[in-house]
Amino acid sequence: MPTADVGDALPEWTVDPVDAEKMKTMAALLADPNPIHWDVEAVRDLGMGDRPVNQGPSNMAYVANMLAAWSGGHQHLRTLRVRFLANVFAGDRVVAGGRVSAVEPADGGTLATCEVWLRRGDDTVMAGEARVLLPA
Amino acid sequence: MTSLAELQSIVGHQFPGGTYRVEPYRNWLTCDTVLSPLPADEVAHPMFCYYGALAGMGISLDELFALAGATAEDGVMFGEAEIDLRRPLRIGESFTVRGGITDVERKEGKRAGVFDIVAFRLELVDAAGEVAAVSTNSFVFPRRAS
Repeated sequence: MPTADVGDALPEWTVDPVDAEKMKTMAALLADPNPIHWDVEAVRDLGMGDRPVNQGPSNMAYVANMLAAWSGGHQHLRTLRVRFLANVFAGDRVVAGGRVSAVEPADGGTLATCEVWLRRGDDTVMAGEARVLLPA
Repeated sequence: MTSLAELQSIVGHQFPGGTYRVEPYRNWLTCDTVLSPLPADEVAHPMFCYYGALAGMGISLDELFALAGATAEDGVMFGEAEIDLRRPLRIGESFTVRGGITDVERKEGKRAGVFDIVAFRLELVDAAGEVAAVSTNSFVFPRRAS
């Protein structure tokens, strides 16, 4: 299990490239009727470019995956709160990362609060905060 | 465009609610789709807090968009989202889902024009009657066509 100190950088987790076919599967899984996730014409009609737009929850999931890789598993995540700042498109390369901002003793271990983000190059496309319980 | 008064009238609206089971095949496909290793010990991917909440709230996304006077073709976007896991969710576990619309806000941006933010909160309640997880979200509704 990792230890956590304020200021620690979390190991980055990369998606390269974001795959349009995965968006179709996710749209079907979620019964998501929004065509921007699979229909390039719909994306163009909305003036949003010419590539399908990734589902926001998938962007969140990438950050959850990054936190699981660091903490030893998905079971350690307590909260994840994010703001969606920009769209992620098919073909993008995005990197999930974070930094420990606070640590406190908690029942069963240490509760680490982390600033988290998803970046495309220098652009932050999603940002927020997570709390992860690191077992003793 | 939906008037602000019409929009504000949906605050407090409770969804019909329903039940949701974390089907093993859905967990497998979800992990494959978001590039996650399959979690150990029958733990579901934590995003099932959101997926289960939305699937079990008792109305479709189209119906949710309609409550806000919009359709899927309007380019509805996510604003903010939070998953609050009081404990890990398990593959095969069933939950009762309950919740509704908690807030609306109209804004205007120089480039974006008028847009509305609709917030909603959903609880996943386990078989013991305990809240296992809470999903809080806001959707952004562009009002371009007005």
